[in-house]
Amino acid sequence: MNPFQPVADVETRLCTAVNAAIQSWNAESLAQIVQIEPPYHPDEEYQELIYSLQNNYPEDDDSTEERLEQLIKQIVPETEESEDADGRPIQSWSSLVTFLVNWMAFLRDVDPANYLEVYQRLKELLEQANSALQHPTKGILMLPTIMSYSNTFAKVAMGLDKQPELIQDLLEESMSEEGQRESLPEKAANVVRQAFITCLNDRNTVPGGIKNGKPDGKKVGIYKMANICLRILQQAEKPESCETIFRNIMQSSPPLGIYPAAERVTFLYYLGRYQFANTRFYSAQLVLQEAWDHCSTDQLYYKQRRLILVYLVTSNLLLGRFPTENIYQLAEAEGFREAFTPITQAIRKGDLEKFRRITKLDFSHPASSFLLRHRIFYQIGNYCEVLVWRSLARKVFLVTEMQDQDQEEELTMQFGDATKDKKASSLDLNTLLHAFQLLEGRAKNKNAAVSAQDQGPGRRSMASVIQGLHTPSKPKYIDPDFDGVDGLVPYDHEMDMLEMESISSSLITQGLMNGYISRSSLRVALSSISKRGGLDNAFPNPWENAKSRNSDDVLGWKKEAGSETAGLIVHLSGARPVGE
Amino acid sequence: MSSNAPTAKHDKANVADSKTTEQPLSQDKKPAALEEDDEFEDFPVEDWTEEETQIPNGNAHLWEESWDDDDTNEDFAVQLRAELKKLGK
Repeated sequence: MNPFQPVADVETRLCTAVNAAIQSWNAESLAQIVQIEPPYHPDEEYQELIYSLQNNYPEDDDSTEERLEQLIKQIVPETEESEDADGRPIQSWSSLVTFLVNWMAFLRDVDPANYLEVYQRLKELLEQANSALQHPTKGILMLPTIMSYSNTFAKVAMGLDKQPELIQDLLEESMSEEGQRESLPEKAANVVRQAFITCLNDRNTVPGGIKNGKPDGKKVGIYKMANICLRILQQAEKPESCETIFRNIMQSSPPLGIYPAAERVTFLYYLGRYQFANTRFYSAQLVLQEAWDHCSTDQLYYKQRRLILVYLVTSNLLLGRFPTENIYQLAEAEGFREAFTPITQAIRKGDLEKFRRITKLDFSHPASSFLLRHRIFYQIGNYCEVLVWRSLARKVFLVTEMQDQDQEEELTMQFGDATKDKKASSLDLNTLLHAFQLLEGRAKNKNAAVSAQDQGPGRRSMASVIQGLHTPSKPKYIDPDFDGVDGLVPYDHEMDMLEMESISSSLITQGLMNGYISRSSLRVALSSISKRGGLDNAFPNPWENAKSRNSDDVLGWKKEAGSETAGLIVHLSGARPVGE
Repeated sequence: MSSNAPTAKHDKANVADSKTTEQPLSQDKKPAALEEDDEFEDFPVEDWTEEETQIPNGNAHLWEESWDDDDTNEDFAVQLRAELKKLGK
């Protein structure tokens, strides 16, 4: 350094560094300069900057903004209009100047302990950074800065969301047309989404946005920004708001496969959670399997793998595909055996009573804490129920078939072949109803052990009858609105034939039972049971059924290049030359 | 201790379309201790190779697709059979 040159002030030094970062095309270095969160590095430099700004460029001086703007324009000539190496004009980058002025003002004014102020000012700053990102060539240099700001912004929004008393006014302002309030995290996600859209719609790339097998231009930022948005929305429990992001991706993103593994796996996790939350379990399973397969096995990422596995196993379970010993033995599957095997056992056997105990809403079953912890309790309770119905119907058929055979043998012995029964290929709905009523009734009994020994009236031990152990616990809930009204009896649900028909038709419609219901004889005629495949024709394999009813295309998972709207992708690999 | 003692507990979650929900959600009670959703932490590295993933040992048998239980002699089936026999079916 020239000893005769006066030492530049701190604002000039920082602006010089900004200019150098742009000149050397170093986006990371730019992000390291425009820090917003203490502790700053190096701290003394930033403290000096804050002090100098407060004294030389104070907030209440009308000329401050203009003077800062002049300074930046002078020291950061990279923001001026220029030409590239081929002589093509590069437009000026005035949005960066605005951003830098506001960044300095942010440092000067904002008290990091005042969350509300941080939120509002950071929102503005992030919006200005987003504008700077839009510069056709240089904008890409803003990407690391925007990612870092977005992460901080998300943290602040999530933190504030837990202090509703602080954000009352902010929320009042954000009433949507339908009268629904947008939560703070949603508002934050909307700001971050701007950057995602800018990356997605970058026109300054090679056609298709892929260069040398890698995303070109700002398209490199698509999944980085999408993942931040998705994390905010996931944490804010707003999975429905993620849909726009997935639709945008299908429209304009290069295929996911060309992005770095960490971005792919993170994105697929959120996509899987979204599909899961929307009860599209087949899609969820496809996406989460891909995330699992491509996640690094480094022990550092145990937590990520475990989270993927929780939803991968649950999605499969809901589709009738059970985890094997190989899964239970994984380190990431700790606690899975205790949580999932009671469910799979109940499904296998059709043990509706046991299933009801696991999914009982008083959360008394030991597995329920795991299911609640991971927010899969509701899905298991509701969507595995049909699998239990299917198994129970199947078992009732098997058991009654045995009885029929016994009877047949007896009758044949007495009267010869003439009495061969045709009932064997149908399921009696009265018998099925009886089985359902029995198991539902038992499930209401609080004491599982007593209930298990219950062989029905006439076979109970005298002691247990005297103690009243077989009395099912009656429902006691009365809505507070009706509390104190005389003569109210809490509703006690009892299954009837109409419900049995409904369950049977539900199984048939969902492809889990093959046949038709004869209402006149109250039987389900089971299809092709006497043909090859037997019982499997009447009760198709749930997983195979799920596979045949679902597509492998998942909204949000871009597998091939090309736009959804550009029409169908034509594969020419199988085409023959003209004239052949 | 008898099992038919009055139970004061109300259901604490709402499963709206479950047919067997005998007690709808009481408005003033929230689900018991629904903790915050686990955060999917950012990976500190950007990329890794396929050799560092599950793919090299990918053929492990992870799923059981045919699990129907045809055993009519297991406890549950035996009990069911005994019950249904009483119907005279």
